[in-house]
This record gives sequence, C-alpha cells and structure tokens, in this order.
Amino acid sequence: MRAIVKGQTPLYGTNQIERLARQYASHAEPGSPAGVPCAGERAARQGETTPGETTLMKAVASSQLRFLASARLTLFLPALAVLLIVMAGFLVARGQSPDPPSIRVINLIPASLSGESNQDSEPFLAIQNQNPQVMVASAFTPNPFSMTGNAPVYVSQDGGKTWVLNAITPVQRMTCDITHAMATGEKHPRGDLHAGTLACATGIILNESESNDVAMSTTMNVQSTRSNVDQPFVRALGVANSDRIYVGVNDFNQSKGRTATIDVSVDGGATYKSIPIESRKTAGQDGPSVRPAVANDGTVYAAFFGWRRFDGKTATSDIVVVRDDAAATGANTFQVLKDPSDKLPGRIVAKRVAIPWSNAPALGQERIGSTLSIAVDPNHSGIVYVGWADKGSKGDIYTLHVRSSTDRGMTWSKTDLPRTTIHNATNVALAVAGNGVVGFLYQQLSNGRWVTHLVQSHDGFTRAKDLVLATVPADQPVGQFLPYLGDYDYLLSVGNEFRGVFCANNTPDFANFPQGVNYQRAADFNAKALNDGSGNPVPISIDPFYFSVPVIP
Amino acid sequence: MRISSLFLKVSLGGAGLWLALCGCTKAAAAQATDWAALTQKSSIIFSGTVSQLAATSFADVPKSAQTIVVKLDSVEKKPAAVLLKKGDSVTVEVEDAPAFREGTHATFYTDGWIVGAGVAVKELGHEVGTAAEPVQATSAGKPSGQGKDEISDQELLDRMKASDFVVVGRVTDVHKWNVPEPKSGAPSRVTEHDPDWHEAVLEVQSVLKGGKVKGNKVIVRFPNRNDVAWVSSPKFAKNQRGIFCLNRDQSTGALASAGGQQANVYTCLGHGDALPISEEARVRSLLKNP
Repeated sequence: MRAIVKGQTPLYGTNQIERLARQYASHAEPGSPAGVPCAGERAARQGETTPGETTLMKAVASSQLRFLASARLTLFLPALAVLLIVMAGFLVARGQSPDPPSIRVINLIPASLSGESNQDSEPFLAIQNQNPQVMVASAFTPNPFSMTGNAPVYVSQDGGKTWVLNAITPVQRMTCDITHAMATGEKHPRGDLHAGTLACATGIILNESESNDVAMSTTMNVQSTRSNVDQPFVRALGVANSDRIYVGVNDFNQSKGRTATIDVSVDGGATYKSIPIESRKTAGQDGPSVRPAVANDGTVYAAFFGWRRFDGKTATSDIVVVRDDAAATGANTFQVLKDPSDKLPGRIVAKRVAIPWSNAPALGQERIGSTLSIAVDPNHSGIVYVGWADKGSKGDIYTLHVRSSTDRGMTWSKTDLPRTTIHNATNVALAVAGNGVVGFLYQQLSNGRWVTHLVQSHDGFTRAKDLVLATVPADQPVGQFLPYLGDYDYLLSVGNEFRGVFCANNTPDFANFPQGVNYQRAADFNAKALNDGSGNPVPISIDPFYFSVPVIP
Repeated sequence: MRISSLFLKVSLGGAGLWLALCGCTKAAAAQATDWAALTQKSSIIFSGTVSQLAATSFADVPKSAQTIVVKLDSVEKKPAAVLLKKGDSVTVEVEDAPAFREGTHATFYTDGWIVGAGVAVKELGHEVGTAAEPVQATSAGKPSGQGKDEISDQELLDRMKASDFVVVGRVTDVHKWNVPEPKSGAPSRVTEHDPDWHEAVLEVQSVLKGGKVKGNKVIVRFPNRNDVAWVSSPKFAKNQRGIFCLNRDQSTGALASAGGQQANVYTCLGHGDALPISEEARVRSLLKNP
C-alpha cells in the first residue's frame, strides 16, 4: 500500500558480521555501563534499522551504510576474520546454525493504524511454545473501529517481525487488565490462547477465555467469569492434549482477607478451581500482584505480596513464595514451602518491607505499589528468582530488588543479588532461558527519562550484560490515564532468545532506541515526527514495543 | 457528515426504489428497509472493484473462500485513525462469496476486522454496481471519519436505549462519596482500579427519556479516578450543563441521601453518557427518529 515505513529493513552482510562481533565482544565486557554500548553496538546501530524511509531515503542510507561498512571492514578485516574463524568453530562444535538472532525492537502499532494516538500502555506477551513464530501481545489499545467492538490483541505470525491488530477479546472496546499465555496449540497451530481479562464498563468482571486460532475473527470463548477480583496474571503449561492454566488473581471473594489466589484449570480452561495461597493474617487483603511461574516438570511457584498492614500510603508487606510439585493437581496445593518462622505455608523471602502505594503519579507520571515478578529455570525447577519493588533507601521513591533460591524456594539469598538493587525503577520482569541465563527487564526513571533495561547474567548477576532498549523523555506525552507505562511489562525466553514487551514514548528518534528500532506505523525519523500515512501529523503517544535479544551463551 | 447524507438519501428516495435502481443483492434486498441502520452500524463503508477472489490483500489475514480483495474507488466512512484511501486494496470477508466476480463493483458496508500492513473488514452488507448517487468525498478531499472520542449516532442511540433516563440538566454540586463499609465488617478493597466515587447533584431541567423525576433532583455517582478502568467514564464539575444518560445505581452497591431524604441515585459511567448541551438537537432527533 504505502511506500513509507514498512518496518522490514534489509540486513546487510556487514551488519551480520558486526552483530556476531558485538554479541561476543560485549559479553566479554560484563561491566559495560547501562546506556553506553560498546563500539560494536554503536556501529551496528547505524545500519540495523531504518524504518520510516522513503525509497529515496532507503537508497541513500543504503549507500552510506555500505560505504561505512566498507571502511570499517578495511580497518578491522583481519580482526574480524580471526573472530569469525574462532566463532565458526565454536558454533559448529555446538551444532548450531552460524546465524544467531539479532537484537530487534519493533513498534507494534500497525501501518494502517498510523493515525492513532492512544495511550497503549501495560503490555503483555504470549508465545506459542510449539510454534514460536506465533505470538500475541496486548496493551490498553482500544478497538480501532468502534466504541462497541471487541478489545483487540496484537498478533504476529513471523516471529515478531510484523504485527497486526485483531479484535477478538471478549471485552468491549478496551480491557482494563489483560494477560495471556499460549502453551501447546493442541487445536490449531495458531492456538490456544488463554487470556485473563478485566472488563470495566460498569463494574469489574474477570473473564477467563480461550481462542483456538488467534488470526481468525472469532471472539474468544469465555470459559469462566466472575467479579470482585483484580489483576489476573495467566501462565500455562502444555500437557499431552490439554493445557494446564494458572491465573494469579487478587480475589476479594476469599474469606478472612486472604485474597492472594491462583485459579487453576487442568482441563484447558473447561473448569477452574480457585485456590487461596495466603495462610497468614492480612491487613484485610493482599497486594494486587499474584504471579505464578511454571517449570517444564510441572513445578508451579507463585509469588505475592502478603499485606500485613496498610495505612493508605504504605503497605507493610511480606514477599511470599509458595510452591506446588504436582502442577496443582493434587491435594494440599501450594503448601509445600513452609516458613521456618511460623511453619505456615508460604516461604517469606523478605519480611515486612515498606511498599509505597499511590494511585496517582508518583514515579514520573507513573503510579506505584505492586510490581512483582517470579521466574523459574524451565529445565531446573529448583532455581527460582523473585523481583519486587519497595520503598528502599531514604530518598528513593521505589527500589527494585532481585533475590534467588537454588533449593526449590526453601532458602533465599538474604540480600539482593549483585547489580539488582535498582533505584527509582519499576516494572520488573524476570525470565530464565534454557541455558540458565536469567533475564531482568525493568524501567528506570533516570535524569528525566524512562530507560528500559534488559540485563542478562548466567552467574546470579555477579557478571551481567546490560542493554538499554529505550531511553525516552519521561514528561512527554502527558498521561491520558494511569498506568502511564503499565503496572507491568513482560519477558519470556524461547530457544536462544529473550523476547519481551515494554511501553514507551513513541517519538521516532533513533537516539531513543540504542539498539535500533523498526516502526510499522508511519514515522519520519529525520523530522522525529509521526504522521497518519497521508502526511498529516500525529501527536506523540505511548506505544507498545516488542523486542528480541539473543541469550548470552 | 457522510452518515447523514446517506440517511437523507434513503429517506428521500425510498428504500425500495433505491434498491431497484442500484440492483442490490438478494441479501441486501432482504434488509431493504435497514440501509440507514446498516450505514450507522458499519464502521467502514467504501466503494470499489473486486480484484481477487479467495484471496487476501496482505499477510496475516487468513485466506478462505469467503475472503476477497477489493480495490477502493472511494471511502465513505472510516475511523479517523485507520489509514484507508482510494487505490488501496482491502480484504473483505464476505457473507455470500458466489455473489462476487473479479471486476464486480460494489459499495461495501463493513465492520473492521484486522489492521496491519493493510486493512481487512467483515461485510455487513453490500450493493452491487454504482450507487444511484455515488457518495463523494468531502470538499476537503477526505472521507468523513470518526474521531477517537466521538460517539456515532448508532452508539449514542444504543446508549440511550440502555439508559433508564436521558435528561437535560445542570450540576449543582460535586462531592466525594465514601462507599459505606459492609455490615460484615469486611474492610474496603484497595485496588489500582479503585473508582474514587464522587457524587454529582444534578438539577433536571427536562426529561428526554424516562418518567418524571421526583423533586427534579438526582444524585449521579461517578468514578473520579483517572485509572484505565474509568477513563471513558464522564467526570462532573459544578455548573456543568449537558445531556446525561442515567442508569439506576447497580455499581456501587449502596443508596444515597440528598438533603436528608433518600434520593434517586444513578450512575453515568459509559463513554458518551454525558454530552455537551450543544448535542441536544442531535439527541432529540435520534430519540424521535431512532
């Protein structure tokens, strides 16, 4: 249709070489400071992504890149040749293709929706485990066609290179919470998407629903619905011909204010059972975030904020982890881990931390109060990580922490892992790759900018590789509602990639995206401005971004 | 607005005569009296020529016997943010695929389906051939569109139908309202979606739908929170005048009192439930000619 901005950028041979060099060189520099990529990264950035081009721009850029690449090759050819020989031997020895994935950052807004300026915040991501080319992402994106149409999800069928918007959720116009997972796709290669959505038209209603084919127009089938719950958080595990689904919810229907709950389905969502996981006295309720994590062997963990006191501004909270070793299919579910202090189910990772609660802008334009993540090594279910934010040290608004356990959650590191105490940051998301490397995604308010980091480490953050995916002005655009960026972002691992989503100011400016970026929507990177595809200006807004980053070896 | 021009066309010409002139399909003929409603119901209306059968115009749209590709001659109605213009190719999931051949020219009444590199839509109805009065683009050369905060006639009509009252009135007071704690002693809930309920006292000046309002004064509860859950809900300010679609309060779970007496308590929660007084003529027209 349009010649302008079709996010697929030609990959030049020189860039491939640079990427290989960058990946391995940067891993050898674990102390590389955030936001200051190594020379290889800076070089690669110039040619990696060139969205928003006209044919003329592309031709000019292409010739410049080739010239630059040629010059660099002349200078560094001997070194690169040696490096390539070493790497080729390394890769062949490991039986891998000598073409590792490159870093990719994609703005999810489709080209045909270039005129939109919504606050598309709070992203989430699901990957079809058996067909990772298929992914579903979501955000607070309204139905683009009408006020009464279904809220949409973003769908990719090519591993995240391109995305479309398909209005299939069972919620009218826009969800007010949505998470999802795709485990096996037993019914279709583009299924089965399991979603937990909140609809907030007149009250707050939870729907747990399923789609057998995310590319079709069929509205997701609602399998369970109820009210008085908050923040559904969906994980799934494929087993034989069915999916096991775990939905963390803050369930106000539970007795005695013990609201942390996991909704469990062992039959693909046909039936759900609500299992309370709080065993202690609360301040009337637990915190909103209840996060399950599932290992391949059926070990299921869940983390939650056990609120012990709440004064309206601060929740005094335990960080609690529960575990079930039988995929929550047996008796006494989630009661394996007991805390030595009181012998009650639920291991306390950190006791009585102060968590600031604000339903108004507190960290830049963002609200705070309930960021939490848990991740388990998919192949070694005894290794588990937990991240959260609290008041932290004096002068801090919100401080992130990450701790770990290597004995199935029985004992935890007593202090934060190295380099994981992050000041004035939120939206922690953790994931563990198949080789044991842990990924740590977060967004930090730093010098008036929201900076999105992905940190990787294979040794508990003693050494770490820190990539800045985005660094954008924090004061623009002015928020339309809360959450500004989201109460969460998300990170997953698949094969040798970390894939995730975050939200950010969508100004088309390469300086804001140090690893490069592709826009599907119409964007002029020279003028740093958006347009509707017909040349009419479009205001800056918050957009969801997908990224893929190779797992460090 | 394009909708009104189509509506006028239907009204003046007579649906039967109009359909006969433009040679409408069997499916369309079966709904001969519903063109105005179809126009209102459609989020995207365009005229174009079928260029491919059992095909799609861009990747990621599932191809089937029901999908055809149409090259656009003109766009009569679309959301403002959606990029769609003359010369574009659109995928249409049609209801009656054998009714189309390559080269068939038609006006399509559709609802949006997928936006990506292109646009895919689902057919709600169509009329084959060139319309008796082809709808032209506006003088500015742009098709009419619906801004992201505008509410269409159909959507407004639906809202009013679902409302217990539609009134013209003025807000005389706004104050915070705390939900009474339940007798069970259970504490109130803390969530990021807390609505922060407020009450607006609304002096009713005229009732457009519903019975007489006792005392000409009602309480309207509304969420004052700027949370995503309530971003589309109207917020009220003292001395605000407008047209309000009201429903009896079934959201907060409590009654209210005004001046020491139990009052009529309503909510006004949906997008378009509070309209500026300048919309009064439009509202009255829609209620009169739904």
